[in-house]
Amino acid sequence: MTLTEMLMPVAPELTLLIGVCAVFLLGVSKRPAVRSAIAPLTLVILLGSLVATAMCSDLDASGLVGLAFDELTGYVRWITLAMGVLLLLVNWRVPTDGEQGEYFGLMLCSIAGVLLTASANDLVVLFFAIELVSVPTYVMVALSRTDQRASEAALKYFFLGALSAAVMVYGFSFLYGLAGTTTMMASGGDSLQATFAEVGAINAFAVVGLLLAMAGLSFKVAVVPFHAYAPDVYEGAASPLTGLLGFLPKLAGFVALIRLLTVCHWALPDSLMWMMWIMAVATMIFGNVLALLQTNVKRILAYSSISHSGYMMIGLLVGPVLGEGPMHDGVAAVLFYIVIYGLMNLGAFAVLSGLNVRGEAAETLDDLAGLSRRAPMMAIAMAVCAFSLMGFPPTAGFLGKVYIFSSAFSLSDAHPFHGPLVTLAVIGVINSAIGAVYYLRIAGYCFLREPGDGLKRVGGVMPGLGLAVCSLAMIVLFIRPTDLVNRAKSATASVGSSVVTRVAVAGAETPPSDTRPQ
Amino acid sequence: MVEGTISTWSMLIMLLPLLGAVLAGALGPTVLKGRSHWPVLLGVGGALVGAVVIFGQVRDAHDEHQMVVPLYDWISTGAGTWFSVSVLVDPLTSIMLLVVTGVSLLVVIYARGYMRDHNEPVRGYERFFAYIGLFVFSMCALVLGGNFLLLYLGWEAVGLCSYLLIGFYYDKPAAAAAAKKAFLVNRIGDFGFGLGILLIYLTFNSLDYQTVFAMVEMGFDAAGDKVSTGRFTAIALLLFCGAVGKSAQFPLYVWLPDAMEGPSPVSALIHAATMVTAGVYMVVRCGAIFAASPTAMAVVACVGAFTAFFAATMALVQTDMKRILAYSTVSQLGYMFLGLGVFAAEAAVFHLYTHAFFKALLFLGAGSVMHAMGGKIDFREFGGLRRIMPWTYATMLIGSLALAGFPLLAGFWSKDEIIHAAFAQDWLLGTVGLVTALMTSFYTFRMVFRAFHGVTRVPEGVHAHESGGWMLVPLVVLAIGAIFAGYAGVTMHPGGFVGLFEPHGWFHHFLEPVVEPFKVNGVGHVAAGHVGEGSGWVVAHLSHYGLMYASSALALIGIGIAYVLCVDSPMLAAVIRRAFPRTHEVLYNKYYVDEACIRWIVEPLKRAGRFCVGVDNFVIDGIVWFVTAVPRGLGWGLRGLQQGALQGYAASMVVGLALLLVIVLFGTWT
Repeated sequence: MTLTEMLMPVAPELTLLIGVCAVFLLGVSKRPAVRSAIAPLTLVILLGSLVATAMCSDLDASGLVGLAFDELTGYVRWITLAMGVLLLLVNWRVPTDGEQGEYFGLMLCSIAGVLLTASANDLVVLFFAIELVSVPTYVMVALSRTDQRASEAALKYFFLGALSAAVMVYGFSFLYGLAGTTTMMASGGDSLQATFAEVGAINAFAVVGLLLAMAGLSFKVAVVPFHAYAPDVYEGAASPLTGLLGFLPKLAGFVALIRLLTVCHWALPDSLMWMMWIMAVATMIFGNVLALLQTNVKRILAYSSISHSGYMMIGLLVGPVLGEGPMHDGVAAVLFYIVIYGLMNLGAFAVLSGLNVRGEAAETLDDLAGLSRRAPMMAIAMAVCAFSLMGFPPTAGFLGKVYIFSSAFSLSDAHPFHGPLVTLAVIGVINSAIGAVYYLRIAGYCFLREPGDGLKRVGGVMPGLGLAVCSLAMIVLFIRPTDLVNRAKSATASVGSSVVTRVAVAGAETPPSDTRPQ
Repeated sequence: MVEGTISTWSMLIMLLPLLGAVLAGALGPTVLKGRSHWPVLLGVGGALVGAVVIFGQVRDAHDEHQMVVPLYDWISTGAGTWFSVSVLVDPLTSIMLLVVTGVSLLVVIYARGYMRDHNEPVRGYERFFAYIGLFVFSMCALVLGGNFLLLYLGWEAVGLCSYLLIGFYYDKPAAAAAAKKAFLVNRIGDFGFGLGILLIYLTFNSLDYQTVFAMVEMGFDAAGDKVSTGRFTAIALLLFCGAVGKSAQFPLYVWLPDAMEGPSPVSALIHAATMVTAGVYMVVRCGAIFAASPTAMAVVACVGAFTAFFAATMALVQTDMKRILAYSTVSQLGYMFLGLGVFAAEAAVFHLYTHAFFKALLFLGAGSVMHAMGGKIDFREFGGLRRIMPWTYATMLIGSLALAGFPLLAGFWSKDEIIHAAFAQDWLLGTVGLVTALMTSFYTFRMVFRAFHGVTRVPEGVHAHESGGWMLVPLVVLAIGAIFAGYAGVTMHPGGFVGLFEPHGWFHHFLEPVVEPFKVNGVGHVAAGHVGEGSGWVVAHLSHYGLMYASSALALIGIGIAYVLCVDSPMLAAVIRRAFPRTHEVLYNKYYVDEACIRWIVEPLKRAGRFCVGVDNFVIDGIVWFVTAVPRGLGWGLRGLQQGALQGYAASMVVGLALLLVIVLFGTWT
């Protein structure tokens, strides 16, 4: 096997990393012309990585230690890079002159981290991949604004992130202690998955290890009680960056959670299931009720981001189901929803970043008052995103919620957690009704209030384009969700193979041993 | 039919006008400005090409008359089942597409000239074309859709476009009120329509046309039980509610005359040629359901006949040209439903098709007059315009002859066929049709003579002029259509009408597979003894040709009366008016229906509304406040945790983690 053949499967990641070097190097140039070419170069790199993703169909990971490629990897690569292009467009003008190199280089690092998370097959690689997502974001928060609040937010984010990383890696060490290997899945030989198949998950090492690992990942997806950083960080960072913070770490966190649950055959012990159930309920309620009290749109969206993590937890708890349509598959619903969420969240923040009130970036509800008179297109985009976040047709957010909730409702009665999960979905529906209050308030301020002074449209072509794509995508994905839904469904093919085992462990009569790796 | 061609072109038919609308809306205000009509013009033109291609495909198909092409799956409804977005193409669809895109294209061309004052685009020029593009998209989706879901979507979308376009001059109170009225009245019908679709889903567990109609023909529901006639009647009547609203039938016709507040091209396109015929299209499409219920068919026929007569009486005394045409549209739509109700669906569709030509022509002509008269359309303020506007006069004369049922023009063939079918079913229905035909030719020519003949008068300060080329070309094209369109449904037949024609032609053969449900059940229906008394006499003694001569005579008599009263001796008209003051008063005020509506429906509803607002403000809001107090109180409580200090956050994380550990370890080993 030549080196080229060996590296072929990671071509998208390599493209990004080479690009990072180039962007960093050009960033220190003294010539303004070179520096202004950095953003377009970043776009080219992202597109190049997309091309590489399309081309490397042969996903043989035998030459690469600690990596594995499956349908989920492919899906995550596509959506991350596509969203990455939008993130770049919206962030086009965020860094001050002279800092483009750092800012866009770090953004590429973070994106590469998500890609690696999706192909990690080793706890150590997984840990590094997730930190590769997070660490650049700490710096980007500090770079995004020349404002004391940004520095404060960056500092908080860094310390709390470090704490959560420590918790996560501590949990990984327990799992290593249990299995004697850090390999997650392997068709033969030692692996965590094989160990779980032998000892089951009801083992002190396993429970503590999984709990700590999940707690660490819960920080990335902003789940109660590891959510506290989100409002402060979202408020401190520049709006376009907040759109990124709401997508990349969350996606990485959910992908890692899906991987961990796959490793333990989606057969968590009841106590861990209940723990996640409680966390999901607390997350939905906490996010929604606190959002009700906010007047700062960025804080509203931060709490809304927390509550959306709660909705997605429902899909995670339902888990994958084989052989049925996408309506029944919790994981497919999560994978579909996170794309929708990323788009509508980014769209809402892009509107904020495109507005200027008396020289300051728009932040509060009052800043948005009468937006429909000053900038009708922006107001329409904001309304589309708000309605989508609320889960109202004809927007894709509606379909996302339908798929998430219906995955719980369509569980069979034989499922050991049938009752609690249906209850969870009902709590989710009630919470989205509460959420409607503050999303409608945002839309209402845009359309029904008299405009205040000094509201001005700023930004440029690129952020405007990004915003247009985000809000149009909400409509288009409602009209035609099929392609994305089917991709999400097929992405769960590799994580769903152990689901039969889950039922078996939970008390069915015939454990189909053929699904377990020998 | 080639599946690939059908799916590609049906997508294009829908998407091109939509794209045009988006471009006009997005680029209109800044880039295109006075050129905003181009994207919509090209988009609708492309759609017309598509309609022609699909028509060719359907015409050349030999064995299969219907093709359903799934475009894509929309949303999963469970394991492996989907609501799909599909198109159904058959002769009915292809004819509707031709009518919709053809008239739309002409209207867009006309509007390029009309929507300008002194060659300057009026305010909202790009908005107008964006709405028109959106309308063409919606209407095409309505007629192309392969299931009830898409039908409903298109149905509501055309309603929305109609609302937006009636209220185009939204700073004019009358226009805003008319838009609101149209929307609300349509809601009443659409409510029934929605219930009908739900009942279809409950009964047949599907919304796909093919699946549903196959089950209807067998008479079994999804569970395999026999569907009762009562159930069919319920579904058909609920669906018909929608048609009554959309196609302005009695008693929901009240919105259409007011809808004339919209720009004239809109009246021609939406409120004469296309949208209002959606109800007719729907009934033909659901023919299997309607024909399964004799009661429903009788209701359709009676509502149609009564509306045709009722609306025509109101048109007799109006002086606003567009209002006369609006009542005439209601009346002609009544004819179509009469045709449907007497199992002559092909005649109804034929009338829909010819009506599109001459009624669009008349509205566009009226718009041309309005344009020249500086916005005035009441012919008490002008007259004798034929010398000033020769082209408009000539084309409108042709359109009026066609509407009046003048022999050998488009309207004559189709209207006559409906009346004949009505006589075959019941002599009363046929008689109503004949009397209405007489009134039609009278009011039409009253309008023509008053506006174009006599002494030339124009309102003061108006520079009357003939319209420009953009407006005249569509008029001429439609006038040609108004003369010759009828011959699609006529064959040469020695010894027939005037020794040459047989009123049954290519059009009817083409539609045969579509109207089959009407024929199968219709024949059975007649055989079952529901034939009205006396119809045997008419059919026996007054052959079809005889009826044609009779209705030709009536058309000429109507024109003659109009000539006598309006041109020859106007004094006589005044004498008649004074002789029957009450009748004239009642007709002129449209039977006081609007006043009665306001008195008996709107005002009580407003009072109820005020009461509800009171209840809402005090009772409901109180409850809501009380309910939301819980989350809000919770929020206030939880807010204490979010103090902003880093140590506090870290502590909350660690404490939370510890709590989780305790819960889990405790839960696992106890």
